[in-house]
Amino acid sequence: MGQEFYILLIGYIFGFYMAWNIGANDVANSMASAVGAKAITIRQAVFIAGILNIVGATFIGSHVTNTIRKGIVTADVLADPHAALIGALSALLAAAIWVSFATWKSLPVSTTHSIVGSMIGFGIMAGGFSVIQWGKLGAVVSSWVISPVFSLIIGFIMFKLIIRLVLVKPDSYKRAVQLSPFFIGLAVFVVVLSFLFKTPLGKRLALSGLTALTLAFIIAAVIGWIGMKFLSRITDNSLPDGEEGIFRRIQIGTSCYVALAQGANDVANAIGPLAVVYFLVKTGSIGAKVPVPIFLLLFGGIGIACGIGMAGHRVMSTIGEKITTLTNSRGFCVDFSAATTVLIASKMGLPVSTTHAAVGGVMGVGLARGLEAVNLTIIFRIIAYWVLTVPAAAITSMVIYTILEYFL
Amino acid sequence: MRIPFLSMFMTSPFDGLEEHAGKVKSCALTFKKAIECHLSEDHREYDSLIKEVFRLEREADAVKRRIRGHLPKGTLMPVDKFQLFMYLREQDAVLDSVEDILEWISFREEPGIPQELAVDFLNFVDAVLLPLDLLSEMLMEARKYFQSYDDRQRNRVKDIITELRELEHTADKHERAIIRKVLNKDMDPITAFHMIRLAEYIGAIADHAENAGDMMRAMVAR
Repeated sequence: MGQEFYILLIGYIFGFYMAWNIGANDVANSMASAVGAKAITIRQAVFIAGILNIVGATFIGSHVTNTIRKGIVTADVLADPHAALIGALSALLAAAIWVSFATWKSLPVSTTHSIVGSMIGFGIMAGGFSVIQWGKLGAVVSSWVISPVFSLIIGFIMFKLIIRLVLVKPDSYKRAVQLSPFFIGLAVFVVVLSFLFKTPLGKRLALSGLTALTLAFIIAAVIGWIGMKFLSRITDNSLPDGEEGIFRRIQIGTSCYVALAQGANDVANAIGPLAVVYFLVKTGSIGAKVPVPIFLLLFGGIGIACGIGMAGHRVMSTIGEKITTLTNSRGFCVDFSAATTVLIASKMGLPVSTTHAAVGGVMGVGLARGLEAVNLTIIFRIIAYWVLTVPAAAITSMVIYTILEYFL
Repeated sequence: MRIPFLSMFMTSPFDGLEEHAGKVKSCALTFKKAIECHLSEDHREYDSLIKEVFRLEREADAVKRRIRGHLPKGTLMPVDKFQLFMYLREQDAVLDSVEDILEWISFREEPGIPQELAVDFLNFVDAVLLPLDLLSEMLMEARKYFQSYDDRQRNRVKDIITELRELEHTADKHERAIIRKVLNKDMDPITAFHMIRLAEYIGAIADHAENAGDMMRAMVAR
């Protein structure tokens, strides 16, 4: 007990605050296209996003945690447990404050960028500029560019494929049913793969790459087939836009997919620094890698879900009013490209932003001439806030570090 | 509440185009009534109808400027921005023609249109206003096409465009018949000139509707 206990308590509070902010800030990105295309109601969106963020965070979200913390700042900083403790706390609080500010001012910032920035601030305070691994930072920065672009490309190709293979055909409903196992299967394939390769549970199974691929393929094929049977039973061919009905049903699945990917990816932003605090308090020292206990991930997931629950309703109703021209086939493409990008990138250990992946997906569909009017110039605003977020979070983190150092 | 994700989605210009087409339609209807009053020499009613026409014109103009003002650089749409503006220009030119006609009539209100030409002009006005009814329908069908990219839907749009062309052709025949009649009548030259110009101005309405159709043809081209 004593001081250690209080520090851990503060860590939990800061971590929860950060997770809450992530939920409040990012919920729009994962559910916007599904709500906008009227695939799910507001209540369903809040529920799906909350539950699946917890599931994604707890079961798929352990890999990224190490990379964010370790990649940018060298482990030397952590040699001094006291400095590491203060650093992790100030990084958490700084990122959370910055994300709160951004949510309030509705700036297109990423929670991922905020935590990276505040980590840099802590690194500079604890060890000077030499501890920052600028090469690694370069890789991280390039991944920010890569994630929207990658998502844009997937969204573009996916929508072009849907036009070619489904929409232009005279029997588009039948086409949509026939191709639905492919769409569903692809999503399932990525989810299963990231589950097998990334999670402790998957690692315990210790499957080789080929076996895992085969297993994922079989599961994807089976679920895709079941999905097709199910879809052809519950949808109606006689409606004028029968194929949109198919996509509406698939979109319920893809919005789950996005929420899952988001939970898996974003939980690290809150739990990474918290894990450092947790281990320092429990063991007194810390290595280069921190195994994140599953209950911390669950804690982060619940924090995100609380943020979604609090802010979700307001955000969703705004979205439902504003996005009126998005149809289900478009919404499906946006969801699919965003979730796939996030899962693949976070599997590779890159700290991507779900915000940017979602924006990239919309741009891809827009470039494929799928939307009545999309503003491409928001890309430039996003770039401006990339440049702003990292130093702003870093400076905030440095200030908080100085203050905390005085007290602790 | 402003959400960053939302700032990507802009108001669809097609909403504005449909609204503008609606204004054109109601303006045309009022214009027709005004012409009828002019022919029956109901001056009081004519004046109030003209005021109504100009009011609708101003409203349509505001819609036009709103569409143009809300498509900044870097807007992604299913159609080329240039084509969209050209379409809007033609749709709006219909109203300019209406304005030209009313102005031309006002230059020489007495004695107005001779009685023996009244029926011809009434039929002519009916003929040029017919294509205007098709504009909103064409926009709606085109919008459906951009949603589905279905070939059958595309053909529906193309059929309307063909119909627009045919209607313009019919209107043209009316115009030529009137000009022929005027030139072969023993009429004072000023009235003859006034009537021929008037016929040309009225004919322009159908021309612009046809041009709008042609621009739509370019927009739905693959």
